[in-house]
Amino acid sequence: MVTMTTKLALPVLVTTLAGVGLGVAEAAQGSLHHINITTPSPSEGVRWYVRHMGCEAIPTRPDAARCGSVDLVFVAQPTIGSTQGTGVNHLGFSVKDLAAKMAELEKVGVQGSGVRLQRFPDGAMIRDVSGLFKIGFIFDPWGTRIELVEDRELIGFHHVHLSATKPAETLAWYRDTLGGKPGKLKRQLDGLAFNGVWLLVSQYAEGRPAATSGRAIDHLTFAVRDIGGAARDLRQRGALLEEPNVPQGGRTNAKRAFASGPDNVRLAVVEPKFTGVNADRGSVAAARPLEPYTTPMTPWGEPNLQGVWTSNSAHGIPLERPANVEGPALTREEAEARRERGTLGSIWGYEREWRDTTLGLVKTAPSTQVAMVIDPPDGRIPPLTDEGRRRAEAARRQAATEETGAGFDRLPEGPEDLSTYVRCITRGLPGMMMPSIYNNGLQIAQGPGFVTIQIEMIHETRVIPTKPRPRLGPALTTWLGDSQGRWEGDTLVIETTNFNGRSGFRGSSAAMKLTERYRRVGPTALEYRFTVDDPTIWTKSWTGMFTFDKDDEQYELVEYACHEGNYGMTNILSGARAKEKERAAPSSAR
Amino acid sequence: MLIHLRAVSACVAALVLGVSLAPGRMAYAQQVSTWDGRPDLNGVWQAIGTAHWDLQDHPARPGHPDLGAIGAMPPGQGVVVGGEIPYQPQALEQKKKNFEKRWSADPEAKCFIPGVPRATYMPYPFQIIQGDQKIMMVYGFAEANRTIHMDKAKPEPAPIDSWMGRSHGRWEGDTLVVDVGGLNGEAWLDRSGNFTSSTVKVVEKYTPLGPNAIMYEATIEDPTVFTKPWTIRMPLYRLLNEGARVLEFKCVEFSEDLLYGHLRKAPTRKAPPEEK
Repeated sequence: MVTMTTKLALPVLVTTLAGVGLGVAEAAQGSLHHINITTPSPSEGVRWYVRHMGCEAIPTRPDAARCGSVDLVFVAQPTIGSTQGTGVNHLGFSVKDLAAKMAELEKVGVQGSGVRLQRFPDGAMIRDVSGLFKIGFIFDPWGTRIELVEDRELIGFHHVHLSATKPAETLAWYRDTLGGKPGKLKRQLDGLAFNGVWLLVSQYAEGRPAATSGRAIDHLTFAVRDIGGAARDLRQRGALLEEPNVPQGGRTNAKRAFASGPDNVRLAVVEPKFTGVNADRGSVAAARPLEPYTTPMTPWGEPNLQGVWTSNSAHGIPLERPANVEGPALTREEAEARRERGTLGSIWGYEREWRDTTLGLVKTAPSTQVAMVIDPPDGRIPPLTDEGRRRAEAARRQAATEETGAGFDRLPEGPEDLSTYVRCITRGLPGMMMPSIYNNGLQIAQGPGFVTIQIEMIHETRVIPTKPRPRLGPALTTWLGDSQGRWEGDTLVIETTNFNGRSGFRGSSAAMKLTERYRRVGPTALEYRFTVDDPTIWTKSWTGMFTFDKDDEQYELVEYACHEGNYGMTNILSGARAKEKERAAPSSAR
Repeated sequence: MLIHLRAVSACVAALVLGVSLAPGRMAYAQQVSTWDGRPDLNGVWQAIGTAHWDLQDHPARPGHPDLGAIGAMPPGQGVVVGGEIPYQPQALEQKKKNFEKRWSADPEAKCFIPGVPRATYMPYPFQIIQGDQKIMMVYGFAEANRTIHMDKAKPEPAPIDSWMGRSHGRWEGDTLVVDVGGLNGEAWLDRSGNFTSSTVKVVEKYTPLGPNAIMYEATIEDPTVFTKPWTIRMPLYRLLNEGARVLEFKCVEFSEDLLYGHLRKAPTRKAPPEEK
């Protein structure tokens, strides 16, 4: 989105506009005070913005950086997603030499610090907007979208750009409740000037933006002289969320109130001497329950699930409810610890980039869901049948040949003794849908009557017809079975049978009927439910659930050529042969 | 019937206006998609012929000795425009070596992702799923698939080289033109050892020849291997049987003996297969 600026020096502009009578209430003489950004590590946040965005550290405040007249305040909390899809589209910073800045950031990104540069549709990273200036887009390491502009007359913090369903009304709302001087940037773009920076609003592309709460930019904070009056005004508009109060841990006795702006952009108003709170954990609300969402349609009239999604937030959720966990959900801290345990436990020893991509670059906070199984309601998979027990026992014996850390009891004699995952054949269904330690991308693309679901991990693609077609006969079985889809409202329902039974999930057999349900429950959330019905193995059917997060702007599936690079298989087997030789050798030789 | 009439009227219009249409367009009308007016390439398609054995003219040849006539290479007419592949001298030597060791060195034997353009004319069907943002091509063999980005005006550099590369598509009239870059050059072009390197670029053209056929063309440019760009051309045919689909052909397990037989407890091979 093309943004702002003007060749007028900002102070001149402000002066020019100051005399314009706007009929704004006395309470609404606000200034943009600070912007609250969620990050697992506030000090990292400060360091990054000081180093790359020209902000200044504030000696007395380890959690904030001063960027011109606006502070960035970093809240110690993992985000539940980037700014993407929310009502705050991006922040704008102006630099003297955009090409040099992009090159600098690209270098940093390559080194694994998590900056992501965005390209324009024509492939370029920088666009020279005629009559304005050069622009480019990046994401900070925690998912805040940033527009970099080369506006030499206004270096530093430049603007906040909102996305709204009704841009003109949104702009009027901010003007009337929080002040700001209306102006047109380059005689083109309507905006409001707040203390030398701009607030701009563009049309949101698709439906309604997601709420900002808990996202990379959690809320915008405006300072007002009369907080009581501002609160009264917001209350009258039905926007006030929390009455003015001195927050716990406040560094001054300045009051703060919370409000919800248009399109669920969370706002705070503070008294001017507000300087933040110590360990401001309470200032970020828990994610609200998802609001009713209208799924957009494809041009040919089917619900539109297209995009790149990841299951990173679901990584770490156990399939079944652990015996020692009570209650409906984990706390954020517990969930964070659970995912980190799982991830680091699995990949320790990989190079730094791998750790960064699995932990540092994950924009989505871990899910607080206790278990995937939601039916039965106790979160436990139903009891096995007798046949199920017999097969489970056989599988346990087979598993002993895999590398378990306890040494090889029976060394793998050939590839067949290893799992189909290690062999790069498949993770099976529904296993292939499950989050793993990395490469959790899923791309959905649609054409009339078909949905393709591309799974990044070891590269597997499913082509699902959404209109009935003849099912395969019982003799034609495959690893991933025969899938038939249909739309139930906006939910894609897929029924799959004809499994070859060689890549079972938790022991599922060839007789399994798998029913999956994909439903968009928010602009960036895709709920996935799977029901396993396999009377050979389980006494009744059971259902699991987790959520994929949309990440088109930052994530691209790579070609996971698993078998082509399966040096692991060669190493496992040659290791087993070496072990056999060692065991056969006389003990004195060891 | 409708299609036929449309074709006739197109010809008449061309004659009246004196417009010269591309060959192919005169004789057939395309199936037009209803929602954006573009040719509709959705469907299950397959090349017929022997291009997967050898892109060039080839006589019948013996197959792997253990398979008798089943594995023999049938004779076939080439699909290379002009007949010759313009190899540089050294590359031609490499091609000959590849041919000699093809039974174990061909990446297809190892169940490796077949690359572009080879995936198109493997002897298996593939499906085109044409949407508003992407065109997906899904192949059965080795679970190969491609995303053709239709929503990016200029090709983005591939973040990393891959077997199937990175594809950007655009429409030139009724022809889908796909620029393929970022290929790792590991794939062969056929079972006769024709090959490229990682400096290869492929431009594909898919031109509808009526509702049930597409003319496929791929121009291959690789300054490391060839003296000039060259082109292959062949029709693709729609599978018309009811319920036609791409069946998954996860071939890994059929390659494991070739790749790992020497590492079995009871070895089935003396050595690993040869590299390209």
